[in-house]
Amino acid sequence: MTTGHDIEPALDIRDLHKEFASAVAVDGVTMTIPRGEVFGLVGPDGAGKSTLIRLLTTVMVPTSGDALVFGNSVRTQSDAIKPRIGYMSQAFSLYGDLTVRENLNFFAELRGVSRADAAKRATKLLEFSTLTEFAGRQAQFLSGGMKQKLALAVTLISEPDLLFLDEPTTGVDPVSRREFWRIISDLNRQGITVFVATPYMDEAERCTEIAFMNHGRIILRDTPEGVKSRVRGDVLEIGVADYRAAMLVLRALPFVRSVDAAGEILRVLVDATDRKSEFEDRIRAALTDAGFPVTMMRDGVADLEMAFATLIPTGESAGSSAEELAAVTG
Amino acid sequence: MNRILAIIRKEFIHIARDRRVLALVILVPLIQLFLFAYAVSFDVKHVPTAVFDQDHSVASRAYLTTLERSGYFTMAQYVDTYAQADKALTSNEVRVVVVVARGFGDSLAARRAGRVQVLVDGSEPNSAQVAQNFATVLSRMHGRTIAIEQAEQRGVDPAAMGGLSVVTRTWYNPEGRSANYFIPGLMVILLTTVTIQQTANTLVKEKEQGTYEQLLVSPLSRIELMVGKITPWAIIGALEVILVSAAGMVAFAIPFRGSVVVFAVASALYVLCTLGLGLFISALAPSVDVANLLSMLIAILPGFILSGFVFPLDSIPWVLQVVSRIFPAQYFMTITRTCFLKGGDFAILAPQFIALAIFAVVIVSASALVYRERA
Repeated sequence: MTTGHDIEPALDIRDLHKEFASAVAVDGVTMTIPRGEVFGLVGPDGAGKSTLIRLLTTVMVPTSGDALVFGNSVRTQSDAIKPRIGYMSQAFSLYGDLTVRENLNFFAELRGVSRADAAKRATKLLEFSTLTEFAGRQAQFLSGGMKQKLALAVTLISEPDLLFLDEPTTGVDPVSRREFWRIISDLNRQGITVFVATPYMDEAERCTEIAFMNHGRIILRDTPEGVKSRVRGDVLEIGVADYRAAMLVLRALPFVRSVDAAGEILRVLVDATDRKSEFEDRIRAALTDAGFPVTMMRDGVADLEMAFATLIPTGESAGSSAEELAAVTG
Repeated sequence: MNRILAIIRKEFIHIARDRRVLALVILVPLIQLFLFAYAVSFDVKHVPTAVFDQDHSVASRAYLTTLERSGYFTMAQYVDTYAQADKALTSNEVRVVVVVARGFGDSLAARRAGRVQVLVDGSEPNSAQVAQNFATVLSRMHGRTIAIEQAEQRGVDPAAMGGLSVVTRTWYNPEGRSANYFIPGLMVILLTTVTIQQTANTLVKEKEQGTYEQLLVSPLSRIELMVGKITPWAIIGALEVILVSAAGMVAFAIPFRGSVVVFAVASALYVLCTLGLGLFISALAPSVDVANLLSMLIAILPGFILSGFVFPLDSIPWVLQVVSRIFPAQYFMTITRTCFLKGGDFAILAPQFIALAIFAVVIVSASALVYRERA
């Protein structure tokens, strides 16, 4: 941390654009990400998250703008960037017909890791990812969770300073997801900066900072706590018999800003006013009228799911409630 | 260098673990070799023939015996009318009908030309053409024999009779054995197909399974990737050449009269051309299916049809001749046939070597460029 070189932020993105023939995938992203973060990129499918990662990993060339990775331009200095980053793409991207160990060895050789180092690190990584006993198995015969852990192990074989993960736990069972994130946290403690795109809010919750991306733009960036504190309004948790049907009823109420389900409990965000108790009564009445009596009602706190549902500009959030109701009842 | 070796080692693991590729590379060429060499023989021998002898003279029988003894014709039927002759041809019982005209013997005795008609089934053009040529040549030879006999009978030295006589000799392959030009040709085709198709596949496959991005974020350069991808198939291509040559020489007794060095250099150069083509396709094709289709198209069209393998290049339309000159197969075809059947050295084959070298340089640089663009 004493040399000038090391003072550079991990990422310095400057007005980055990527246009395809049919669409603009990244539409002017500017942000600086310091070292040591676990930076989460969240947003709906097609928001441009994967393209942004491809630009930052030099897999794609930007249409305009630039990004500096540890001070090196993705346009002109990709040779200096590649040895310092690891990239785990969305789809499983290893050789299915190679064994676990052969995959590790191949990428170690490719990245110029000496044979002795590679052997040492492979042993450690296999242990770390609990894949030791599968070292001789062809990658295509691993389970989804094991495949992802192998992909992570492979990107770690060159000991990168910055790790890009593109939806690393999509299609992975909850237990493996938790284990995967334990590994990520360990790595971050060792000083590795992590840049992760995820569709899961519980994963975003584990990040030190998050950015919300939509239509190619970053529309919000804060810590998870900061994002949640931006939510205006009161949260009610409601227990009701048929929670799916009840959701539609609640969304039709003018003072309800968002409804989502956590298990069978509905989490409802209502306008922030001093009329909270009035709203509570109206919700009870509406649900009883519709034939879903309320079994439980208590105060809750805002979470990320709720934050993004309300903080992104209107018209871009998922489906208007009136339309949905009409579609079901009509 | 280590990175290239890593790619090469990985490619060989892929090849060794994929039985289909192994079969495609080793079994299919051998099967094709035997199939082509046995079944698709262009040799014309024992052509089933019908005889319509209208003359029934000693002279006509002598003539027909000459034809039969040549071994090219087998007298399968004797017919008495043109209707029967027609029926024999249309029912595919015979391919040729030899009609000896009435008065054949008398004409010969009067030292006039005897009239013979040869009807040929044109629906199988190759054997028809050859049978027709043989019948003509044999008839002329028979005519000369008779002339000599008659001269001797009259006490004239036939050598002093004067006149012109044309003697045709086929060099390098005097018996016209089709295996002799077919097997070297087939080797060119097999080498073309396998190398183009496999390299065309190799990169598209990486793209489809997402591993290409992993290669892109590694410090591997495009050139290293290309060399690493090409080398295993260059080695396999070389093995293929040796395999098919050996099989051809052992099982079909084809000769090898040229220099092994000339042939080896030409093979290496040609494989570079086809691998370059394969990589070019691989860089452009959006999917494995498209890559397969494109490589089959290229391997069949310029490789099979426009290489001089089946059709002599002098007899195809000029537009196609131009196309065939752009594609390297015909040059390697010439070199291969020369090496097997004639001999020849670098000086004689210089035009072909230069053409191959130019194509290799152009296609390899082109695919290197396309790579940079597409990455």
